[in-house]
Amino acid sequence: MTRLISSELLKLRSTRTAVALIASVVGLVVLIGLIATVTADFEQDEVMTVDLLGIAGFAQVFALILGVLAVTTEFRHGTVTPTLIVAPDRVRLVMAKLAAHALAGLILGVLAVGLTTAIVLIGLSSRDIDTGLTSDEITKVVVGLVLATTLWAALGVGLGALVRNQVGAIVGALGWTLLVENLLTIIPTVGDWVQKYGLNGVTNALSNIESATTGDVLSQAAGGALLVAYTAAFVIAGTLAMRRRDVTS
Amino acid sequence: MSAIDIDRLTKRYGDTIAVDDLSFKVDPGRLVGFLGPNGAGKTTTLRALLGLIRPTEGTATVEGRAFGDLEDPAHTVGAVLDGGMLHPGRSGRNHLRMLARASGVPTSRVDELLKLVDLAGAADRRAGGYSLGMRQRLGLAAALLGDPRVLVLDEPANGLDPQGIRWLRDFLRSMAAEGRAVLVSSHVLAEVAQTADEVVVIARGRSVAQAPLKELLATSAGGMRVAGPDAGRLAELLRGDGAAVDDAGDGAIVVHDRAGEDIGRLVAEHRLVISELSPIASSLEEIFFQLTGEPGTVG
Repeated sequence: MTRLISSELLKLRSTRTAVALIASVVGLVVLIGLIATVTADFEQDEVMTVDLLGIAGFAQVFALILGVLAVTTEFRHGTVTPTLIVAPDRVRLVMAKLAAHALAGLILGVLAVGLTTAIVLIGLSSRDIDTGLTSDEITKVVVGLVLATTLWAALGVGLGALVRNQVGAIVGALGWTLLVENLLTIIPTVGDWVQKYGLNGVTNALSNIESATTGDVLSQAAGGALLVAYTAAFVIAGTLAMRRRDVTS
Repeated sequence: MSAIDIDRLTKRYGDTIAVDDLSFKVDPGRLVGFLGPNGAGKTTTLRALLGLIRPTEGTATVEGRAFGDLEDPAHTVGAVLDGGMLHPGRSGRNHLRMLARASGVPTSRVDELLKLVDLAGAADRRAGGYSLGMRQRLGLAAALLGDPRVLVLDEPANGLDPQGIRWLRDFLRSMAAEGRAVLVSSHVLAEVAQTADEVVVIARGRSVAQAPLKELLATSAGGMRVAGPDAGRLAELLRGDGAAVDDAGDGAIVVHDRAGEDIGRLVAEHRLVISELSPIASSLEEIFFQLTGEPGTVG
């Protein structure tokens, strides 16, 4: 298993995709965080600090895509064939990809969230603005955001293994998280459910960034547990699909 | 036990039959050519052998086991399908390295193989810029990573230049001489057939011939050609004897159902003068055409 994970980490490092994706997302998040911190108007309430930290949450959707690429890139370029010829156990292959990409998601999360938090805290203190949060509260948000980024990468690995088609999996992932869930919230009752138990809902609960706003939100622990459950469901479904299907790419 | 055993293998995709009740074996130390036109089911057979697709019926085993049940697959079977399969953004060296890591092969082996297939100079360039021949050589290096006892190569000669093909033939020969079982598929007969101990020819998923190449050539021979001043007289004598004789033009004749020795005897007996007596070998491509009902690509 160690060998397979080491092979997967080399795959991640040996093309530009992962590095470029992580670098550009971190850059983007940091830039937006910086502009927002400098320009934010803090006359209203303390919730602003949480919103500023929450900017790092943009990294999650890119972590999801990073995870989706784990399996779909192999099918797109056919490298899954030589990979399976040296290591035929498909379950172990998915597990190795899961480990490597969760690590990549963690790195993305740590960089994006860590840098954003540093900028927000330094920026606010230099403007003599009180964050309105205790350091415990900030820690909870930071840990939540990093965990969420890691889990979205893991979920992406499962989704990619399930769908296999790169374009289909990416369009599906972005469509669901950015569009469908938001549209569903318009519907009465169902909308409330989606807002609470949907992928974005549980992620926000885990990140603890909406706890101070209105609405019916899960606790951080419950949100985290549900996000883990969703991730596990996709990984299990993806692994089963990988085990069963013929590989003809 | 055979190194490779394809036993009544059948693969259906919906209503389409890709491989139909195919059986053959490859023993250690043998080089077997797996021939057939494009779309005949060669790659499907090899994919079933490598555990990439599930047979609808029958089995395909390596050293008596399904590929997925092999204890140490990388050191047992080396294979390359469809010319390598590379990520265009990854260097050739890293492609081999990631496979080496997954199979527990030391990195030094990667450098060794890059030299062997003459890719050391291009190894750090992105594979997207490789020529087909370079991809083939990289694929071959990947197949050799674990120094396997069984080699399975799908169309390895595609994209190679004549020297490359010649090198490949010698190389495969030496692999078999070392006791390895080598199975090489091709849609171009001449590429590998001459070096193979045996050929398996398939068409539309079914085996149409399975024999050492010499036998295949002998059974499909095209008759004896005789030329010379007395060829016409010889034709009369042969016809009188009940032989099938065609006029080949320019005074030469083609005798279909007499061996060279029989014709020679007749010539001596009647004190005829001839200038040529030679067997007409049908070309490999003609045999291929007869067997598969499709024109064999002339390599």
